[in-house]
Amino acid sequence: MNFKFRILGMLYACLGISTISIAQTPTDGLMMPKGEICIAVVYENSSWGRYWEGTYSRENANIGTFTRQMLMPMVVGGITDKINFIVSLPYVKTAATGGQLAGVEGIQDLGLSLKAQIVDKAVGKGKLMGFTNASFSTPASNYLSDYMPFSLGFGANELGLRGIVQYELDKGPYLRASFAYLHRGTTEAERDFYYNDGAFYTSTMDVPDAIHGQVGVGSWFLNKKLRVEANLTTFRCAKGDDIRAYNMPQPTNKVDFDRVEGFAQYYFKGNGGLGLLAYYNHMFSGRNMGQFSGYGLGMTYQFKAY
Amino acid sequence: MKKYFYFLIGLLSSVVLLNSCMEELPTHFEYQGYEFTDLDPNAGQWRLVMHQSPEQFTIPAPAASGSAELNRELTEAKENISKISSKQKEAVDYWTNNPLLRWNEIALELATKYNLIPAPNPDGTYPAPDAANPGKYPLFPYAHPPYTSRMLAYLSVAQYDGLIMAWHYKYKFKRQAPYELDPQIKSAYDANKLYSYPSDGAVIAISSREILTAMFPLEKEFLAQMAQEHLESLILAGINVSSDVEAGKLIGAEVAKTALARASTDGMRNAQTNKAKSDSIKNAAKVRFGWTWENQETPQRPVGLTPLFGLVRMWNVPNVEAVRPGPPPAPGSEAFKKDAEELKRFAANLTTEQRRIANFWNDGLNTYTPPGHWNRFAKEKTVKYRLSPVRTARVFAFMNMAIVDAGISCWDAKYYYHYPRPIQTIPGFKTILGTPNFPAYTSGHSTFSSAAAEVLSHFFPTDAPQFRKWAEEAAMSRVYGGIHYRFDAEVGLQQGKAVGAYSVAKAKLDGID
Repeated sequence: MNFKFRILGMLYACLGISTISIAQTPTDGLMMPKGEICIAVVYENSSWGRYWEGTYSRENANIGTFTRQMLMPMVVGGITDKINFIVSLPYVKTAATGGQLAGVEGIQDLGLSLKAQIVDKAVGKGKLMGFTNASFSTPASNYLSDYMPFSLGFGANELGLRGIVQYELDKGPYLRASFAYLHRGTTEAERDFYYNDGAFYTSTMDVPDAIHGQVGVGSWFLNKKLRVEANLTTFRCAKGDDIRAYNMPQPTNKVDFDRVEGFAQYYFKGNGGLGLLAYYNHMFSGRNMGQFSGYGLGMTYQFKAY
Repeated sequence: MKKYFYFLIGLLSSVVLLNSCMEELPTHFEYQGYEFTDLDPNAGQWRLVMHQSPEQFTIPAPAASGSAELNRELTEAKENISKISSKQKEAVDYWTNNPLLRWNEIALELATKYNLIPAPNPDGTYPAPDAANPGKYPLFPYAHPPYTSRMLAYLSVAQYDGLIMAWHYKYKFKRQAPYELDPQIKSAYDANKLYSYPSDGAVIAISSREILTAMFPLEKEFLAQMAQEHLESLILAGINVSSDVEAGKLIGAEVAKTALARASTDGMRNAQTNKAKSDSIKNAAKVRFGWTWENQETPQRPVGLTPLFGLVRMWNVPNVEAVRPGPPPAPGSEAFKKDAEELKRFAANLTTEQRRIANFWNDGLNTYTPPGHWNRFAKEKTVKYRLSPVRTARVFAFMNMAIVDAGISCWDAKYYYHYPRPIQTIPGFKTILGTPNFPAYTSGHSTFSSAAAEVLSHFFPTDAPQFRKWAEEAAMSRVYGGIHYRFDAEVGLQQGKAVGAYSVAKAKLDGID
């Protein structure tokens, strides 16, 4: 397998849902061989001018346009040909053009992920692959999650379990689907009373669990130097309250969204070395979150480490 | 292949385990019925706040011990107790033998639920809640701090006068509790031998239901259901028979009527003015001082929050001018610049602890507000010191009278001085807390908190240093948050202390604390 292809896919998956939470674990259908390391840095810029209060789309001139920038360093490596690790640590910065609330910036969550290939067999003119992936992320600074929408993240540990299936033709085109269950813990507010469809006398807030699904279709071109993909992501919290009328969001909210994305990655040389990636995505429906549109640009460098 | 399968199973089980470890988060204060430190047998002689005599409302003389009528009630109570469901048992545990605390908690929850500021219309104008049509957006009420402070005062004063009357009759008629009269009946709480006629719980249930229904009209059914559950629990707990409850209901309804009659003429209905009136208030300040506060939201709110709340009738302060502070430093003056520079320094270098303080005391929209925060403290201290219901009502009544008086005094200063907020005077200034829709000087948090701390320090002298520290922290929280100058906070603390002193002086007339 082409290792560039692998790292690309992993990155791409990571970025896919970064606007909602953190460095997420890969959803792609790729593996790095033993001893290969890929280092990547991705810059993402996404913004919204409307947000969903419950499912009602509204503007708020006291936010104006909200922007979230992220710089994410990431390392992916092959422990064996069938088991990979992924580590990421994004730096996030938020700001709004309207109103007087201060934006924040800082280190967000440390993401650790292990991925294993469990199916790899020739089917017809291509091959069928299956993967499973376990991820864990935890806040890496003392950022305040209860400062939405500006907060850097939701401030809770997250344990994710994912299954991925991909069918790839030998000529280049592929089709992929993934599904994940994300179990989230609790986050600590700095106040010890809040309203979540009723009074709560504690600073502990329950961040709802979520499911994350994705389907992607793409292909390789130019002798496997260029990959282009389109995909659709859906994200649903299992429970949670809605943002109240003209009120701030909070980590207990039921956050949902659906998003489309276009993605491309290019390698300068055939095997290893430097690569570039770019993507653009847009949310077309959602609940209790900003209607983000954004782009990402990244560089990858891959080498044989051991 | 197999090892991946086990890997998966392992992960799945850890997810399940994590889930099962999650504890239930508390939705109310965890306390149980308790033994009162003192039954306060002389409470029937304490000075009433809104009434002249503890016998102002007559209740029938109770049926005597051993009478057929009382025996029938006892039999009925036993029958009901023998058929108690698990849900009813939970209700008995929930309401406890000091249910004022539960009704106060319900009041705080409703205050939180209704504390949402109206959103702008698409054309940039703002709608206002309408008491005559409470269900139309924006819902009535908008339970902002002045509204909540006043609501809590009426609730607590009605409860207090009602319990003084109940205590008067309890010790006049001396009817023993069901668990004293019938050995087959056990009290669900401490068997403290408090006389049961009239039921103090019923006074609390009905007075609270009536006040809160008037204050939160859309909650009528919910409140009726809570009161029904509470009344039923009094008999199921073995502490009252039905005639105790009926007599308590009479008193509860009457004291609520008195309180609501006062509320209907206290000036609150005029507190939220139209734009013309609001502009004339603003112009008066402009002429007097040369500055005015302007709302900085987009679209701009044309009228600040309750410009005439300062004219609402006070409880214990003779007139609002008696506690009006002197003027703040003029914008641009040296004293002003010093405090404005401090705000910029905090914004640039806020410590983790300062951020925590700012957020802990924020008590903004969608919360129970600073008055609610102090009611919570009073509730916790009540249980800590195991106060009787009537002593509890006393603490809440004097504290909440001081809190609403502090609010009235603070709002008087806010619109008299009409002082601009930091986001108005400091170009490009950003804050971590939302700036409220009213002038800066003086700080509401500081004034409310200092008044409450003053009263609580009187009732719980051992904890006085803690209350004062909390009030100072609440005051500084607004400076850390960037929405008040230090002089707003410091003068607000003095102002609140002065207001609280009036309430304490009134309490001292009873000579019993």
